[in-house]
Amino acid sequence: MMAETTGSGAGNVSGVRCVIVTPELTSLDTRARFVTLPLFDGQRGVGRGHAPFIGRLGAGEVRITGEQGGPADAVRRVFVEGGFVEVGHDSVTVITQRAIPAEKIDLSQAREELDKIRGTVATGEEAIASKMQAEATAREVVRIAERSR
Amino acid sequence: MAKARALDRRRRSVRNIRKITRTMELIATARFKKAMDRSVAARDYTKQLVKILENIASVGADVVHPLLDVRPTKRAAVLVLSGNRGLCGGYNSNIVRQSVAILGQWRSEQVDTDVAVSGKRGISALKFRGIHMDERYTSFEDKPAFDAVMPIGRAYLEAYASGKIDRLDVVYTRFHSIARQEAVTEMLLPLKAPEIAGAVPGGAVPGGAASGTATTQLASQEYDFYPSAESILEEILPASFLSRLFKCFLDAAVSEQVARMVAMKAASENAAGLIKNLSRRYNRARQSQITGEIMEILGGVEALKQ
Repeated sequence: MMAETTGSGAGNVSGVRCVIVTPELTSLDTRARFVTLPLFDGQRGVGRGHAPFIGRLGAGEVRITGEQGGPADAVRRVFVEGGFVEVGHDSVTVITQRAIPAEKIDLSQAREELDKIRGTVATGEEAIASKMQAEATAREVVRIAERSR
Repeated sequence: MAKARALDRRRRSVRNIRKITRTMELIATARFKKAMDRSVAARDYTKQLVKILENIASVGADVVHPLLDVRPTKRAAVLVLSGNRGLCGGYNSNIVRQSVAILGQWRSEQVDTDVAVSGKRGISALKFRGIHMDERYTSFEDKPAFDAVMPIGRAYLEAYASGKIDRLDVVYTRFHSIARQEAVTEMLLPLKAPEIAGAVPGGAVPGGAASGTATTQLASQEYDFYPSAESILEEILPASFLSRLFKCFLDAAVSEQVARMVAMKAASENAAGLIKNLSRRYNRARQSQITGEIMEILGGVEALKQ
């Protein structure tokens, strides 16, 4: 107990380490107080001492709260398009094919994209399923962009 | 006079060529460094995928997936990664030789092929040999983007899943080190199951590799899977295929820059040698011309004396 207090009291080693990797590069590597993940079936928060798990992600935003060196309630939002997350002992590794910081999403472009997907006609079960998925993803992008304005 | 002047003109043109090759060498060096950095940055993703695969394997999930099925090859896809530009030594010709070999092999086994070629050089070389190409890409330069590679990979995954192709081979230049790159034919589909398990020691990055493996093996029992190990496996195999395909593109880009760097360095050195040789010949020609002129003057003086 004593050791733990000293550990977090040092300030630099508190919270969880959050890493976001994409095929091209490691786009984020930081420490934060709390991380919210968009799992395939809903959101899940991870703080220090969370039980380890490996999960599938849906399209949505990763929220990183209380980043090291910033205000305790500051939130960084990153849009991820599916992928996986590996939560280890005090570390969160998000493995995704696309990660875009929320503030870099162009809202009008995102809306256009959503309209374009809505405008397409899908026939056949597979095409309908993939259209629905694309639409859900596009809607999520728009939502995140609206919120980060 | 004419000979000396001609030599001087040649020397000047060789100097200009040296300027060009020297510049190209410097550009290739800079591009190589950038491409190399990208390639290194991309390793993390593969490393993490391998880590998850390793964990799934260690909980004893059944590794059964359509992408792992080995079927008798009736139709094979071949993807050739060459460069858009020349002046890079044997880079493109090695690739073309390798791809002609594999296509010849498939033809002798009477397997239909579906050929896709990236890079203008490869396209024109295969066209010259009368090989039919189903797809051509010319947009990949020294910085292949994952977003550009993904649709190609997705198309192959779909074709494989629907049985349109039974195998995918990629012909590209693998990058070992600055001193060694080799043109190889690598089978990407079907994914090799033992390779997934065996990818661990090879895939782990040097430095902490041994300890990393040990800790993950210990920790693997503790992991929960959401929704399940099988479902994650189903998603992770296509992702790992895409990342391997992307790595082929990155390797090809790095190798092309190295090949160009080496070729241009050799060309610059060769030009320097030529200049030296031409200078020597020019000086000799000039000297003999001067001697000739003196002799003429002396001859004239002698003639006037008489």
